[in-house]
Amino acid sequence: MDRQDIIGRFAEAAQDPLGYAKAWKARTGRQVIGSFPMNFPGELAHAAGALPMILQESDEAITVGHGVLFPFYCGYTRSMVDQAARGRFEVLDAIMFGDHCVQLLGMADAIRMKLPGTRVIFFQLISSMNDPWTQGRSEESFAKLRQELEEFLGRPVEDAVIRESTRLFNSNRRLLRRLYEMRKEGTAPLTSVEMQHIVKSSMIMDKAEHTALAEKLVAGFENGTAAPSRGLRLHLSGHFCQAPKPELLAMIEECGVTVVGDDLFHGFRYISTDVPEEGDPIAALARWYMDRNTGVPCPTRVQNNVDWDAFLLKAMREERADGMIVLMAKFCEPHMYYYPEVKEAFEKADMPHLLIETEHEGMALESLKTRVETFVEIVKRREAALA
Amino acid sequence: MNIAVQHATGKKANKLQSTRIAGKLVNDYWEMVWRAKEEGKLICWYEGSAINPFLEAAGICWVHGEAYSAMLAARHQEAKAQQVAEERGYMRELCSYARTHLGCAVSNQRLRGDGAGAAPDDDDLTWKLPAPDMIISAYAYCSTGQQWDEMTSRIFGKKVPIFNVSIPWIWGSKPDSGYLQGQEWEETSDYVTRQLHEMIAFIEKQTGKPYPWDRLYELMADIKRASELRLEAMDLCTAQPAPASFFDWVVSIAPINNLPVAGVKDYFETVLAEVKARVASGEGAVPDERYRLFFDGIMNWNKVGWLANKFANYDAAVIAGRYTHMAFWQEPNLIDPNAPVRGMAQNFLICPNNHSSPILIKLIMDLCRKFEVDGMVIHASRTCRAFTNPQFLIAETAHRELGIPTSMFEGDVTDESFYKDEILNSRVEAMLEAIDSRRIAGAA
Ligand code: SF4
Ligand code: SF4
Repeated sequence: MDRQDIIGRFAEAAQDPLGYAKAWKARTGRQVIGSFPMNFPGELAHAAGALPMILQESDEAITVGHGVLFPFYCGYTRSMVDQAARGRFEVLDAIMFGDHCVQLLGMADAIRMKLPGTRVIFFQLISSMNDPWTQGRSEESFAKLRQELEEFLGRPVEDAVIRESTRLFNSNRRLLRRLYEMRKEGTAPLTSVEMQHIVKSSMIMDKAEHTALAEKLVAGFENGTAAPSRGLRLHLSGHFCQAPKPELLAMIEECGVTVVGDDLFHGFRYISTDVPEEGDPIAALARWYMDRNTGVPCPTRVQNNVDWDAFLLKAMREERADGMIVLMAKFCEPHMYYYPEVKEAFEKADMPHLLIETEHEGMALESLKTRVETFVEIVKRREAALA
Repeated sequence: MNIAVQHATGKKANKLQSTRIAGKLVNDYWEMVWRAKEEGKLICWYEGSAINPFLEAAGICWVHGEAYSAMLAARHQEAKAQQVAEERGYMRELCSYARTHLGCAVSNQRLRGDGAGAAPDDDDLTWKLPAPDMIISAYAYCSTGQQWDEMTSRIFGKKVPIFNVSIPWIWGSKPDSGYLQGQEWEETSDYVTRQLHEMIAFIEKQTGKPYPWDRLYELMADIKRASELRLEAMDLCTAQPAPASFFDWVVSIAPINNLPVAGVKDYFETVLAEVKARVASGEGAVPDERYRLFFDGIMNWNKVGWLANKFANYDAAVIAGRYTHMAFWQEPNLIDPNAPVRGMAQNFLICPNNHSSPILIKLIMDLCRKFEVDGMVIHASRTCRAFTNPQFLIAETAHRELGIPTSMFEGDVTDESFYKDEILNSRVEAMLEAIDSRRIAGAA
């Protein structure tokens, strides 16, 4: 399999996650457990012998979903209720999710009502990240989740098996982080769309299968020579639950831009942090949950002693990025709350950024392109003036 | 039949006289807040759950963010705060309570915090809100609540100590789950109780004094009584015609939810007496009650009186609502005045949205049956997803289980620009026509 074949495999799963799950189920005869973003520990469901997959926004236009959630909800939640109401989630044996944001809770509630035959399991995750009891409370939540899983599957999920799954998930994340490193250095000149396929498919595919392919992909890039970056170096930020549309990413790169880093959920955010491999596996998951937020701060959590804006500026220094494009899913409240902090910090640091609001349907790519081109020109002129 | 024509007679809501007292109590409260700094009081900002008795007992001046935004909207002074918030980058799709209040925070920081702004204008209530000495975040269900507090803390340069209470959502999927029952209910009650005790330790740290528990017990005994009086008065609205309306109960939210406790018991005693007198004399909340409606959704604060008159003009008594009848010390029996913390935690847990749909919708259907409503108006508040989340499911269930029509209109808590009068008119008229047709069919 050459590089393009591997990326092609990833793209297939990324483009048809439910199709992948169906085939996997037919092949293995095992259960498929869907989860909502962004904090479900897939390790647990994997250890239980199931296929954990993060449910994805679909490309389909919303129809029946209009009668479930209002149009002033983010595309992810609207697309999810639409898929549920159309019977697209038949392949799922259960859905599991943790507390996340108010729209997601509304969506989950509606999905449970629309899918009376599917078990929908909720685990409350504390979103206040630096209280003395955050670790303990997170352990309680993950322990409960494990218990629910055991009940659902009718078999115990052993510590040793969770540790094995943890090791597998960590190795997968490490490989993908290596790709990010090499992209920054210029030795893995992957486009944003390719990067998205790679990460998104890891949310869907059987972890061992994905890891074996990722190993080959990484090996093929090792020891390569760094290609000079094409045009402006930019960081892509934001977009939580849903993957930005590939055509949007491609359009940005067509404007003379190389994306050198991101903190998208369908990107670095998802793979940023490993689960400790030693000690009690549930405590390890709680640790992972907390470490993720100090690693790549998330606006859906509150943590007074970490700053997403400062993280972004630091990441961009390391990436030698010249500017940032913020992709904000329209109506995403956590993002809208935090955005003024980012805006202010970037203005203070004299670091240019462009905000693009994305929509599930009807994004006017042509006019967005003009905005990106203008932004690129401004950043270039600024770079020239600074040189 | 053209109901719009038939009803366009300029009828007005027959508001409870006693709710006028609420207006005075509210004004006195805000005057107290505006004086608090001069009087050397510590000030705590909070939103959501009514933790104010904890603060009042400790002599801390409490500022409820939603109440401040609602007050600005009711006085039609919200625009300035919203504009200031927008200038800082808070977008229009964010909870308008939050962005109005955040606008006040930004304005306060600009005008007196960092000294960089222009001189404050004393009549401008946007800047007048005194800055917090502490923030306590204890919001049930809605992620916006906690983020709003966090952003407030950041606006004030993270210099103000902040304490977070996490209130779990009640998912209720176990066989033993139900309203006020089941393992999940007990566990979440314990969890929030533990955190409230931690919160008291935080309060002690801020005041530098041991917590005056006896004072809290006294306040909670009064609140419990006030709540019982309020619920008794609300229950009397099963009478036909209904003696008071949803809008009277909206005006009565501040007293039960965030005003100083002294005066609240008296207020509800007066309200109850008036409601009883109306029942005795057959006086209704609207001049000619022909329809009885349930109101789902949060309030349009810029439109309270206006909507009350609008429905009165349609001969529609809006009798009960999710917002008024399912919140605000709703279960006084859970409160033991001599050991109130767990009962307080439980009342915070039953905020109207904090139960997931199966429990929530059953409670709403029970209220509709109890008050014998003919239809349901659903206010889809554009920026409050906590309230809009289950509304399609509620409407569906109302059709299926009660066979009543519903009508949805879009508005907002404090951003008037989302409200469309024509849509409300046409939808409500269509619903009333449906009720009439049902009656005719029933009589035939
Ligand atoms: S975090 Fe944003 S994108 Fe995710 S569900 Fe909530 S509103 Fe939607
Ligand atoms: S969105 Fe609604 S529930 Fe949430 S903070 Fe605003 S008013 Fe409160």
